[in-house]
Amino acid sequence: MATFEALGIRKSYGGTHALKGVDFRVRSGSVHALLGENGAGKSTLVKILTGAQRPDAGEVQLDGRVVHFANTAEAGKHGVAVVSQELSLFPDMDVLSNLYPMRERRRGPLVDRTEMRRLALPVLHSLGLNPDLNAPLADLSLAERQLIEIARALITQPQVLVLDEPTSALEASSSARLLSALKVLRERQVAVVFVSHILQEVMDLCDEVTVLRDGEVVLASAPVKSLGVSGIVSTMLGDRAKLRRVEEDAESRAGVQALAQQVTSTHAGPLTVSGLKVQGGAQDVNLEVRPGEVIGLTGLMGAGHQSVLEAVAGLRRTDAGSVTFPDGRPGPRDLRAGIARGLAYVTGDRKRLGLMLDKSIWENVAAVQSVGLGRTGLWLSVPALRQRAQDYVKSIGIRVGSVDHPVSSLSGGNQQKVVLAKWLETQPGLLLLDDPTRGVDVGAKAEMHGMVRALADGGAPTLVCSTDLEELTGLCDRVLVFYAGHMCAELSGEALNSQTLLEAMNTGRGPSAEVAA
Amino acid sequence: MSQPHGEPVLPDLALSSPVDPPRRSLASRFLRANEASVILATVGLVLFIGLLHPSFLQPSQLINIVQQAVFVGILAAGLSFLMSMREIDLSVESTFALTLVSAALLMKAGLNPWLAALAALVLGALLGGINAAAVQYFKIPSLIATLATLSMFRGLVFALSNGQQVTGLPLDHPFFSVLSGNFLGLPLPIWCLIILIAVLSLIMGRTPYGYRVRQIGSNPAAASFSGIPVARVRVQSFMLAGLLAAVAGLLGLSYFTSADPNIGGGFSLSAVAAVVIGGTPLRGGVGTVPGAVLGAVLLTVVTSGLVYFNVPANWSQFATGLVILIAVSLDSVVRNRNRGSDASES
Repeated sequence: MATFEALGIRKSYGGTHALKGVDFRVRSGSVHALLGENGAGKSTLVKILTGAQRPDAGEVQLDGRVVHFANTAEAGKHGVAVVSQELSLFPDMDVLSNLYPMRERRRGPLVDRTEMRRLALPVLHSLGLNPDLNAPLADLSLAERQLIEIARALITQPQVLVLDEPTSALEASSSARLLSALKVLRERQVAVVFVSHILQEVMDLCDEVTVLRDGEVVLASAPVKSLGVSGIVSTMLGDRAKLRRVEEDAESRAGVQALAQQVTSTHAGPLTVSGLKVQGGAQDVNLEVRPGEVIGLTGLMGAGHQSVLEAVAGLRRTDAGSVTFPDGRPGPRDLRAGIARGLAYVTGDRKRLGLMLDKSIWENVAAVQSVGLGRTGLWLSVPALRQRAQDYVKSIGIRVGSVDHPVSSLSGGNQQKVVLAKWLETQPGLLLLDDPTRGVDVGAKAEMHGMVRALADGGAPTLVCSTDLEELTGLCDRVLVFYAGHMCAELSGEALNSQTLLEAMNTGRGPSAEVAA
Repeated sequence: MSQPHGEPVLPDLALSSPVDPPRRSLASRFLRANEASVILATVGLVLFIGLLHPSFLQPSQLINIVQQAVFVGILAAGLSFLMSMREIDLSVESTFALTLVSAALLMKAGLNPWLAALAALVLGALLGGINAAAVQYFKIPSLIATLATLSMFRGLVFALSNGQQVTGLPLDHPFFSVLSGNFLGLPLPIWCLIILIAVLSLIMGRTPYGYRVRQIGSNPAAASFSGIPVARVRVQSFMLAGLLAAVAGLLGLSYFTSADPNIGGGFSLSAVAAVVIGGTPLRGGVGTVPGAVLGAVLLTVVTSGLVYFNVPANWSQFATGLVILIAVSLDSVVRNRNRGSDASES
């Protein structure tokens, strides 16, 4: 039986040892979860397994033979395919050509689209997708694009498939599609490496689990059935890490709360939306977010929840209705006008919207307040900006070597904290969060939630657009569920739980509707 | 806290019945095509001028316009590959002139014109290769590198020709009589243009190379991640642009029957404008060969139209620039609107 193994892998960056001799083994026909906290070495191991990086020591074996991958393309040739955390598709190209980068089927010198379509359709259907193959990829939603990326890997009929955070942007229904796809992969004897932060998903989808902590394996190939979510969590965190985290959390909350105090005085009113109709989005939206409230917006993809957030931010045009900002004036014309009036827009799409990845951490922290709005004066003092960034590194617990390092050198969770830091810098009076913890691990997620809560307590009305049930139930006071362009349910208190949320998202009926009927 | 993904909660969500992709009518497909706006603009402008000056619509006049657009059109066709992968070549007009003058000099020196033409084609590809080398190995942005070679190649033209027009070519040779002839009522250069459009469109839209070019422009990071040989594709595209400039140069030589060292001045900018007007955005990712050529035709329609409206010759360059600005702005506005109304939930 074929296996995919990594033996004694070591890798260090500068002085940090990311991996300290890791053994990892995946059997064919099994789905193997690779878990670990932010910075535990997961991403590094995945990069080495897929040829994106080479280990300092140790070797990768496929079927008992040692293999060396110079790059991901070479790994692909050996049958190791990867679906990466960040989307790597071509938005201008049509869907079909996105499925075959460098692998187009040919007839003579020309690309054989008929053959490509014939091969692609069964794979797409098995994932529950049926897109217009000639439409540009940019027409698809984020969740559909992520499924396309999975389909692209499946088409190569890989021996090993690495799914690096495949479902972080997916809806529950897409996860269900993935579940059926994984069944097919098991039958085909593919070895699947599954990296995810959503532990329940791991419990549902995976057979075995390996946990990394601080660059070492702390749990090797344990059957998932023998573990519960809480067991996995404590293995991931370890006892010492757990204690430290609580302290850090309290500390960062205090820091944020101090900041939030200053905000309260400037903005006092609620955010109100009445009779809103968004162009190509949701209709008849009425909502009020009082200072200190955290309201969630959710729904299946295309349900319209996201269009509301974008309309409030001034990113999308509206056909009817009105938005009133906490300062009592109508909503902004565009995002910049909104930001100048105290709006903060924290997005989970770090690569595209959230950060300038190649710039240093301090430049990113300064991006809105000092550079974008020019609030700190005409001259930018680099030492002062570095010091500000340094303060945030301490106060909200960003794990960095130096604020001069590029943001791209940070793990996903720490990158997202930099996004938050740059908005905290503006002392926002209105907080809009769009899938804020996408691809962020459990620990960092809890910290982020603590900070958002603290900001809201300080008086900033907060809207969270998310499909992460844990985030919605844990962070929000009320959650508005959208279905097919309309608000279908408002859940709070006892009714706000994963089960009712998921039912409302999928059926368009809230618990109250049942009573009425 | 309750479980993030409730286990058996997932009701039968009609997961297994994916929705049919929306079907689009032929008309809306046309309007979404990248070439749509340039086609509409060209036809509209021709009809508008024709309405006021019916003589503009005479076939001979229209043929003449296309004939004039052939050179910039071919340069634009080559540029559409480079620009869809986020590169640019400003030196194409000098490549055009240098291949044209070199071929003329070789012919004057007594070389068989067909062999001289072949040498010019090789030279064109080599000049493209020089651009590629500068961009690839010395890591100079193509805008800067080709600005330098624009000047260098033009300088070579003057040096080789001594600043003089090259005349006294063997005009009775088939090279001149065939290439400047007619076939089925159309001048041969126009046939060449049509064939080039067909072949290059196939290359752009249906060959792996054409896919690579657009993929690199669409998402450079993902392109190298997918194992696309970005460097090789870049070299190929620069050489293709050079080769096509040489083709244009040869057609120009047979058309003008002499070689002026100043020939082709300003063609590069017209060609870049033609590519953008034709629907290839400056940010790359999309490329259309017919659009680029039609962009060149549109620019020629404008210049010829100005004559009909008695715009003084000294103002025509200003007017052409203004038209380019308007055309590109309109295109950008239309594109943004399309994008806005199409924006689905994401």
